[in-house]
Amino acid sequence: MAKKITLPRVAKGKNLVYLDDNSVDNILAMVMTLTQEISVLTDRLDTIEHLIAKNDQIDLDDIDNFEPDYQLQEKRSERRKSLLKRVLLPIEKALDSK
Amino acid sequence: MQPIPTHDEAVRQDFVTDFRAFLTDEIYPKIAPYYKSKIEPDFVKEHGRTPEDKVEVQNIMLQDSGYQSWSFLQRISQQMMFTSVIDTVERTLEDLIKKTKEYSTLGSLELDQSIQMPRYLTAYDIHQQPGGYHTENTKNDISAGVVYDISLPIYSRDAMGDENDLLAQATINFIKNNINTMPKKILDMGCYIGNSTLPFVRAFPESEVHGIDVAAPGLRYAHARANALNASVHFSQQNAESMSFETNTFDIVTSCLFLHETSHAAIPKIINECARILKPGGWMIHLDVYPFQRNAVEPLYDFLKDWEVTNNNEDFSGALREMDLQGIFEEAGFSKETIEFTSAEASSETNEGYTGDFYLKLPVYVAQKMA
Repeated sequence: MAKKITLPRVAKGKNLVYLDDNSVDNILAMVMTLTQEISVLTDRLDTIEHLIAKNDQIDLDDIDNFEPDYQLQEKRSERRKSLLKRVLLPIEKALDSK
Repeated sequence: MQPIPTHDEAVRQDFVTDFRAFLTDEIYPKIAPYYKSKIEPDFVKEHGRTPEDKVEVQNIMLQDSGYQSWSFLQRISQQMMFTSVIDTVERTLEDLIKKTKEYSTLGSLELDQSIQMPRYLTAYDIHQQPGGYHTENTKNDISAGVVYDISLPIYSRDAMGDENDLLAQATINFIKNNINTMPKKILDMGCYIGNSTLPFVRAFPESEVHGIDVAAPGLRYAHARANALNASVHFSQQNAESMSFETNTFDIVTSCLFLHETSHAAIPKIINECARILKPGGWMIHLDVYPFQRNAVEPLYDFLKDWEVTNNNEDFSGALREMDLQGIFEEAGFSKETIEFTSAEASSETNEGYTGDFYLKLPVYVAQKMA
């Protein structure tokens, strides 16, 4: 079997530091990726809940083939927004002009 | 030709779309009021005046953790966008490469293995796309092109249309409204995956449309993609600084967000080549992102406008707008009275098939070759 192709994951360019030092930047990046994974888990659970509400049993393909309609997509978008609002509250607060 | 994401890949990509929307809608609008009420007053206290240019604004903003938090989040949202689509491309790549063979009958594809990649493409990865636009990770690779294609809707919040082509629609609207021409031959330079090339095939069905780029992964994908979308385009791997087309060949030479990815040295060469390959009386139309006049009224906006230059690997885009393009166009032999730096518009209202209330107004650089 041919070797699996792997694609580059990191862009070449200047290594910029934004916050106190690189490790603080890295932690914020890791927090955002974890937030993303919480969102993925929540959506997956939501998909399974929608599937079992209508089917006696489901298999893995059903999950990949599930297509949320427009309303459900909007609902998920709102939920992601509220997740982001909670996670990023300290940063929103830091930028408060009052 | 686009790969189908798994459930989790799809919702992971959706998260990035919503994350970027959150940054744009909820965080970014706080920056100007925050600057005015919290940052600028400290500067005034110390200097007895407000900052006079973007460099002075930059010096204080880069020390501020509030601004830097937004800036960093904006930067990593782009990285997360690429990581989340690379999962899908990596998983499906072998099948996609096989598929390019099925989609190859319309138009043509000519690659040149001896081509040298220009340094402005290899020095850093433009837009932070890992591996850049040119890297070949396997034989007959198309991965960089696919990554670019499926990340565009995330980048644009689904505003670019099903075929990612709203920008080129602006150029076409401009041509139809301002230039009385029925082009027989059209060239799109720096065409990459051809998303801005295909609209010319649709808008001018009688014309022969060519696309050139230096990056093979983009061109291979462009040719298959054009076939999958039933459009005939002749793609060839060429550097716009020195093309193999004969003198007096094209009626229209165009580009879309291409010039700002090149360099000081490349611009005059590219413009000279445009003049050479255009027929007498032919038109050159480049669509690019940055306005030519610096906004001196509020240095904060001058500073913010340059965000992509430093933070999203767009090193030349800031410098392009400082260049004397008028002089370069004249030098290349374009009629002085036809040279114009103006705007092209497109919107979901005037162009069918686009979602939302998207409106777009971007600068175009226009000139006619002397008849």
